Amino acid sequence: MRSKYRLGIDAGGTFTDFVLADLDGGVRLYKSPSTPEDGTRAIRAGLEQISQDINKSIEDIIAQCDLCINGTTVALNALIEKKGVKMGLLCTSGHEDSIEIRLGHKEEGYRYDASYPPAEMLVPRHLRRPIEGRILSDGSEKIALDEQAIREAGQYFKEQNVESVAISFLWSVRDPSHEQRAKSILEEMLPGVFICTGSEVYPQVREYTRTSTTVINAYLSPVMAKYVEKIDDFFSGLGAKYPVRYFQSNGGLAIGSAMRGRAVNAINSGPASAPQAGLFSAAPFGVDNIITVDMGGTSFDITLTYEGQTNLNKNIDFLRYRIGVPMIQVETLGAGGGSIASVNEFGMLQVGPESAGATPGPVCYGKGGTKPTVTDANLVLGYLNPDAVLGGTISLDRKAAEDAIREHVADPLGITVEKAAYGISMIVNLNMVNGIRRVSIERGYDPRDFALVCAGGAAGMHIAALAEEIGIKEVLVPKVASGLCAFGQTISDVKYNYLATNPMRLDTGADINSLNESFLNIEKQGRENLLSDGFKEADITVARSMEMRYVGQIHECTVNISSDKIDDKGLDKILADFHDRHKSLYSYAEPMNPVELVNLESTMTAHVAKPAQPKIVPGNGDCSAALIGPRDMLFDDSGGWMNAPVYQGPLLKAGDCIQGPALIEEPTMTLVVRPGWRAQLEESNCYRLIQNE
Amino acid sequence: MSNRSGATSDPVVDPITLAVVRGALETTQREMTMTLEKTGRSSVFNLAHDYSNALFDHLPEMVLQGQDIPIHLGSLIPAMKAIVEYFGDDIHEGDVIYHNDPAYKGSHILDCCMYKPVFYQGELVFWTVCKGHLTDIGGPVPAGYNPDATEIYAEGLRISPVKLWDKGERREDVINLLLTNMRARRDQEGDLNAQFGTCSVGERNLMALLDKYGVKTVRDCIAELKNMADRHMRALISSIPDGVYSGEAHLEDAGHGFGILTIKTEIEVVGDSVHIAVQSPPQVPYFINSYEGNTMSGIYLGLMMFAEVPPPYNEGLYRCVTVDLGPKGTLCNAQEPAPHVNCTTTPMETLTDAVRVALEQAAPDRVAASWGHASGINITGKDNRSGEEYVTMVLASVISGAGATKNMDGWHSCGPLSCFGALSSGDVELLEYSYPIIIHRYGLIQDSGGAGYYRGGSGTVWEVEPIDHEMTVIGFGEGRQLATMGAVGAVNGLLEPKLGRLEVTRADGKKDHRENVITTIKPGERAANYNPGGGGFGNPFERPEKAVLLDIKNGLVTIMGAAEDYGLVVDPVSLVVDKAATIKLGKRA
Repeated sequence: MRSKYRLGIDAGGTFTDFVLADLDGGVRLYKSPSTPEDGTRAIRAGLEQISQDINKSIEDIIAQCDLCINGTTVALNALIEKKGVKMGLLCTSGHEDSIEIRLGHKEEGYRYDASYPPAEMLVPRHLRRPIEGRILSDGSEKIALDEQAIREAGQYFKEQNVESVAISFLWSVRDPSHEQRAKSILEEMLPGVFICTGSEVYPQVREYTRTSTTVINAYLSPVMAKYVEKIDDFFSGLGAKYPVRYFQSNGGLAIGSAMRGRAVNAINSGPASAPQAGLFSAAPFGVDNIITVDMGGTSFDITLTYEGQTNLNKNIDFLRYRIGVPMIQVETLGAGGGSIASVNEFGMLQVGPESAGATPGPVCYGKGGTKPTVTDANLVLGYLNPDAVLGGTISLDRKAAEDAIREHVADPLGITVEKAAYGISMIVNLNMVNGIRRVSIERGYDPRDFALVCAGGAAGMHIAALAEEIGIKEVLVPKVASGLCAFGQTISDVKYNYLATNPMRLDTGADINSLNESFLNIEKQGRENLLSDGFKEADITVARSMEMRYVGQIHECTVNISSDKIDDKGLDKILADFHDRHKSLYSYAEPMNPVELVNLESTMTAHVAKPAQPKIVPGNGDCSAALIGPRDMLFDDSGGWMNAPVYQGPLLKAGDCIQGPALIEEPTMTLVVRPGWRAQLEESNCYRLIQNE
Repeated sequence: MSNRSGATSDPVVDPITLAVVRGALETTQREMTMTLEKTGRSSVFNLAHDYSNALFDHLPEMVLQGQDIPIHLGSLIPAMKAIVEYFGDDIHEGDVIYHNDPAYKGSHILDCCMYKPVFYQGELVFWTVCKGHLTDIGGPVPAGYNPDATEIYAEGLRISPVKLWDKGERREDVINLLLTNMRARRDQEGDLNAQFGTCSVGERNLMALLDKYGVKTVRDCIAELKNMADRHMRALISSIPDGVYSGEAHLEDAGHGFGILTIKTEIEVVGDSVHIAVQSPPQVPYFINSYEGNTMSGIYLGLMMFAEVPPPYNEGLYRCVTVDLGPKGTLCNAQEPAPHVNCTTTPMETLTDAVRVALEQAAPDRVAASWGHASGINITGKDNRSGEEYVTMVLASVISGAGATKNMDGWHSCGPLSCFGALSSGDVELLEYSYPIIIHRYGLIQDSGGAGYYRGGSGTVWEVEPIDHEMTVIGFGEGRQLATMGAVGAVNGLLEPKLGRLEVTRADGKKDHRENVITTIKPGERAANYNPGGGGFGNPFERPEKAVLLDIKNGLVTIMGAAEDYGLVVDPVSLVVDKAATIKLGKRA
């Protein structure tokens, strides 16, 4: 049977988003409250919605999907909440404090802040065991491996009930045999314990980065494995034809078996697909400078793409831990619809980072929440329709929201409920504006040169206010905004980064054969993985890069190179490109000086056919059919309510233009068109919010 | 606020533009720093971040002090002015000026500083400035730390302000003169190129900023940023009661034979301004004298460490601060021919402590304990892989413990005091790749954190063995006889592990050094440099039992340390508190 659908599922902190893409065009969006204790429950609930909506059994739908894709915050949340497993670490004797010493550095931005505490150790000192055995920088063995010490450490780990072990020895990238031997000894001693080595997880020079990356991987992988197992079983139980794909922090997809032991590759799984979806939405308007802002229930994620390129970070501190593997750069704040508003001991109104999440959720959901949230404020301000949230599947209790705001915010501050609601909205906007400034202004980009792309269920009510505050004149709100990341997954490719180390001088005595071999080795591995995953040779593209430097430098600069077999001429070209790159980055080059190679990388992408995208039919400009009547709303703190029209988004046609103040209701989001703005529905399934001149 | 006079004191700048310009200046500085880090040859630059980059305006006032090495940044302010004074009208587009001499307000001669004027449409608008610690500057001892020097002339090459590029022309003759006087010439030349790249990247960014906003708007923003910093510092000073506060700190005898030296400060707060007066003993014929520029840094650091003011950090911060360094010819206001190479750490960290102690009286609720002072090593030898000589300061060897504060234990491995967490010790693998050495140990030291209700952070030990050659190890610094100062009632019981030392292991056994020595080791022998921990905060005998027990479990505190530092007797096998013995010891209430 020919496949008909592709399914993207993005499990966020509050809601799980579903995008069912019809391969012939047509995108459907669904939402169901997340169930962090067991992700499959939310997925089943979502599939039931889809099943009812399109009138097909869940099994039929899954059987007709060419791909089921899952973006997950499992690894991220476990790292944030420190809910990884108890673990041990084997390290080269004398270097067991490497991750705690952190190269002696304190993070930038806190230089003169004496009260800033160090990051919590994922593996405490008593579980970091030193092992004699030493490889040197040239790959030779200086001291033989002390297997007895490994057994003693294994015994201690057993007593301590560790669930995973990381093994990271100095220079294992030159000779992994000590790590491999240690792994096999421990595997024998500790059945059921997850074990990974530095040379597997991050085979690149730099002990601190490698050890830290390996530790994070060991800390999170058992959590990830449980999750993947559950999801894989769930889908194969429903008769899925192909294994579930998982979204990785590098912006590409992977299969579960590749994910289980590599949780570190999926830490930023969810938000990493936003740039892809954002660029896709902006393409019809010829825009490739975009800032995506994704406001869900718990968090606010920002990405910046300049001239079509999203920054991929390697070897960075993420949530205060050093991670080597490549990941899309995302700035995350604790600001969402569920963010709780409170008045602190100094009489200051604050919003977030504490969130009511999916349970108990905002007060107005009537599921036990008692503290007022941003969503409650939006309801009081008239932005949310009490009866039409999530396509009418949930109805909201306005009175309860008002009472909670009165009790926790308005009365303590001695102001009216409306003023308090507006204040909550203002504060959360301010937090988000500061976040956008951090990714743009602080990195030297003027946000006014960018289009803001709206994502997440709650963003539509805030986006125009944010744009106004920053001075951005163009805002794009795709109809699929509330599930933009899930949508991004359905248009993504499978992508793996394969890394290797092969230090050599590239002037005299460059070993071109060995260089070609290094690439071919990792690509052979990559190709096998992809072919066994059902891809054909023709689907696969390879992008190579080399990290090089002038002899004597310590840091490399990365140069993208051709994936052809390297010969003398090819090498000359690589060197010339290196000098150019050095000059463009650092303003000068030293073409007379010798260059050396350190690390190399092949990014293997298996292209996945993109579903066709639906087009909205044009109308005659008359929006009256979509009008469902006016509602009182508040747009500033003067207390002056405005009676503004509300439109049903699904009834609008391409070319329709709504002048603010107005509100457009879509099944999974509400778009607030502030006074002074207009919203124009484009053929490409996207609203454009434009500030009037 | 409107201003019709057009003066820059209170300009009308829209807040978004102000924020963008500020962000662009910060990004410019950060990209300069990144360029130096990524392109530098010496591990001191590219691994250890022993450099600082700053932007100055046409006045010239510092418009952006990054988060680089604090001890460099204060000295850039007088140095920049000295450069402009020296060249007067003779500053042109395409010039690049170089300088290290303390007589022109440099810090120490290893810190070579490059200054590039940025012209926009013929007008001088900015200076991009890059200061970095070169691994060698000539003189009799590799890496520049010569404990036998009794005059600055015996320490290395002094570079008075000189143009390396003249209107865009690279002056090969001058550059050749400099490099001819340095060891490991290829590295020094690479680092000089890196500094040039750094200043040029800064210039490139600033030109783009000026293209976008024009000179006037950018200058208005800068004026406002300086005013902002001034307001922050004044608000802080105003919060301290008016009065005169004094402090003193002691500097141990690191082998010079002049005994313990004492540095005193007197801090007078009047309204929103502060005057800091330094009183130090006469200068000595040993490399621990500090000239004016460097001393300014030490004072500013003592203040900033205490102030915790929010950014922006620029020259506006110091408008309300006046300083009296004491008479010329003293330890903290040295004059020629005083030797000085150790000055960025010794005596600067002692001066910083003296400022801190005075401020402790002014506002005891704000202070933190002191951080471990720098006591480290330089290494030099011949790399048989290339046949070339290598020489480097080992920054990993100075990573000491941070002081505890009023609400938490100190950070492990974050010092020294003069660098405040800005250093990076460099990856062990990268160091072993760059130099023919084996690093046997880089770890935390047991019982090294100062005892207190909150414990000081642990110091580190760095142990090295040469491969295939003889290596010279050159010690420098202090903190090997006097422990790091605690705060608010902190006292140490077990002193020994809290001090630094250099331990040399040879076939005939181990030997400890507690003064600045130069020694040579060969394969099979090892040198291990121990760094002091940070000071504790508050009464150690009130530290919760649970905290002590956790430190024991993690091997940060020993059974002996628990008894001597914290008055807690713990059974070495069960790791349970022996209540009766603890009461008998009688130290805990």
